[in-house]
Amino acid sequence: MASAALLAITPHRIGAYVTFWLLLLLLAGCGGGESNVVTGNRDGVLHYGNGAEPQGLDPHVVTGVPENHIIRALFEGLAVKNPITLEPEPGVAERWEFSDEGRVITFHLNPDAKWSNGDQVTAGDYVWSWNRALHPMTGNEYSYMLFPVVNAEAYLKGQITDFSEVGVKALDDTTLEVTLNAPTPYFIQLMDHYSTFAVHPETLLQFGEMTDRYTPWTRVANIVSNGAFKLTEWSLNRRIIVEKSDLYWDRDNVSLNKVVFYPTENVVSEERMFRAEQLHYTQVAPLDKIPAYREMPDSPYVQAPYLGTYYYLINTQRPPVDDVRVRKALSMAVDRDKLVRTVLQETAVPAYSITPPDTLGYYPPKLFDYDPEQARALLAEAGYPNGEGWPGIEILYNTQEAHRKIAVAIQQMWKSELGIDVTISNQEWKVYLDAVSQIDFQVARRGWIGDYVDANNFLDMFITGGGNNNTHFADPVYDDLILYKAPKAATREERYALFTEAETMLMEQMPIIPLYTYTSKHLIHPSVEGMYANLMDSLNLKYVKLIPGRSLPEELR
Amino acid sequence: MNTATQVFDDAEKGSSLWHDAWLRLRKNKLAVFGGGVLLFMVVVALLTPWLAPYSYEAQNLDLGATPPSAAHWLGTDIFGRDLLTQIMYGGRISLAVGFIATAVALLIGVTWGAIAGYVGGRVDAVMMRLVDILYALPFMIFIVLLMVVFGRNILLLFLAIGAVEWLTMARIMRSQVQSLRQQEFVEAAVSVGLSPAAIIRKHVVPNALGPIIVYTTLTIPSVMLLEAFLSFLGLGIQPPATSWGLLISYGAETMEEYPWLLIFPGCALTLTLFSLNFLGDGLRDALDVRGSKD
Repeated sequence: MASAALLAITPHRIGAYVTFWLLLLLLAGCGGGESNVVTGNRDGVLHYGNGAEPQGLDPHVVTGVPENHIIRALFEGLAVKNPITLEPEPGVAERWEFSDEGRVITFHLNPDAKWSNGDQVTAGDYVWSWNRALHPMTGNEYSYMLFPVVNAEAYLKGQITDFSEVGVKALDDTTLEVTLNAPTPYFIQLMDHYSTFAVHPETLLQFGEMTDRYTPWTRVANIVSNGAFKLTEWSLNRRIIVEKSDLYWDRDNVSLNKVVFYPTENVVSEERMFRAEQLHYTQVAPLDKIPAYREMPDSPYVQAPYLGTYYYLINTQRPPVDDVRVRKALSMAVDRDKLVRTVLQETAVPAYSITPPDTLGYYPPKLFDYDPEQARALLAEAGYPNGEGWPGIEILYNTQEAHRKIAVAIQQMWKSELGIDVTISNQEWKVYLDAVSQIDFQVARRGWIGDYVDANNFLDMFITGGGNNNTHFADPVYDDLILYKAPKAATREERYALFTEAETMLMEQMPIIPLYTYTSKHLIHPSVEGMYANLMDSLNLKYVKLIPGRSLPEELR
Repeated sequence: MNTATQVFDDAEKGSSLWHDAWLRLRKNKLAVFGGGVLLFMVVVALLTPWLAPYSYEAQNLDLGATPPSAAHWLGTDIFGRDLLTQIMYGGRISLAVGFIATAVALLIGVTWGAIAGYVGGRVDAVMMRLVDILYALPFMIFIVLLMVVFGRNILLLFLAIGAVEWLTMARIMRSQVQSLRQQEFVEAAVSVGLSPAAIIRKHVVPNALGPIIVYTTLTIPSVMLLEAFLSFLGLGIQPPATSWGLLISYGAETMEEYPWLLIFPGCALTLTLFSLNFLGDGLRDALDVRGSKD
């Protein structure tokens, strides 16, 4: 056994050597011995690990997260999110008011809001841009963000072709009137999503038709944007640099002079760059290094709940899970604390309902807990005492290591707590999606990441026949609460009370087994201020400041 | 006369192909070692339910992945399951897949190749074109289709893998048979009036054994890896059941943090493959009629 143990250590040593030489090379590479962080802190340059190379920078074409970070530095929506509270605050629109019981919103644009070529950002630009965002020829995957607007969906589907029938009007250069199908309390939040951003019409038309995708208008020499920063360099697979814009209306409050975005696809080398002070900020942190980072005093590791829930869908029409007692027994037999502590290494938060905690002040009800005793009792009541007569059940997941680990752990929890047989089965992503949308499974894993911070985004999945319901759960009272009562609630408290009522109904029927809330995980250099942890993992670079003279903890140097 | 007949009889007895081969094989130390290891593996695999120190599915999540210790000789995986037990149970599946699927491939491939090679002419052309066509089919898709149509079933997995692995075997067999057919002893057998089936069985196949055995020892490992790949795609074995291929593919994903999860299943597979190769080499030398009758 001794020789075997020795053998087991060797790869670590090799790893250490390789790391050592790589680090040496890296350090030798940045002449003068001053790291990016030191020079950056002096010159106000933020070095940002962005995870991947963006597919593009056209707000109405791209879909990814790395794109989001750069686009939101270059462009600004009508309203932005406060990075601490996530409440909307003025962007291009300096104020807005609601009328007709919340069905009409009038945005008053800031006359100082300028494009980077000096033109004013007008209400007409928004009408043109939303026409582009909703036009069937543009193929904007996030066009549904604008569906609350009257006739927006019909226009996208080609049922109407005259954009003037869509509920958005420019009353004058600085007044934009939006008419909604129904009161939509979270609509202002959507104005911070890049698919609702305005683009500069004249620039786009110089390089093609309105609906053309991937024209050269987003290149460094051509792009015209309206955000706090402007694009100055785009070296493919190397870096993207944006510089502070002198024409941005709120330029006095922008502290950074430059931001350099790196396509850090490899998690391990990203962490290495962070340790060598080549980066201020990493997009993620390698799972196996997190425990070590946690133990550090003044740790640069920042973890925060993220607006996403990992759960198991249940087909409520297929035995044995068509019985609500069986569904509850399964849910209660899962030790979520243990799951999070061991398999997930504390990188998630146990969840007992679908909405993540503190979704803009809304906390979901917690109606049950890990309780194997009661789970066994419920199962016995349903006719399977100690698992006798159990017909078997299958967990379906899409082929990925992380999902397999969770399924294997839960399979064993159900087996040992309830004495029931569970098989697990994996399918390739598209096959799996097909099975889920046709509800051809007994239990299937699912994750949902919120598009905007509102419990509605999670709860309206489970309305009767909802596209992401996938459980056969159907309850007219629930539908009524979500679709009609909640949007008309006069105050936020009243609305949240209705959500609580609906969510309680949902968890009483247990068509899903919530497992955990996702988290965001970053390494942030101590010299960075103004990067607040929030549920959307949303960063507004406008608020970020660099304080020179601060360095990483001893353990990392 | 009497003495002469006696001597002739003895010589005839002593020169039986199989007996000769066995004598030669026993002298080859590596082959004996390989055979011994394989026998050990098979015996352990058969007795695993009684020998295994722990249950293969019981988890101890709080223990997690631990390096080798007195309680767990080969350590535990991320679910706190004993790795030795996992390897023992995995061996049952891997060895079964390896041997059964290869046997299926052998049976089809040798028969097919021998007939095509011996009969020749139009029959040969048709049979080998069929092999070419099957070759052109992406074999993974073929297996996936088989598994999707007939459902997930371990026995079917064996058959499905065997059913795609026989093609090369058939080609090798055919070329061997074609060259053997020109030999005098085959012509002699024909002139004596033996039926083609008997000639193939008694004269052709035994003489073509060398390359077939070598190829077989190469097929077994590739079949084991194929099983791992299919299981990864969700078409093979599903947890908590396991195989060496699966253990290795999971181990490879966490090799930086928990190297033992890759090293020990890797050792088990490597040892088996080496043993197969040694044994195969020894068998080929022992059975090679041309090289030995000096």
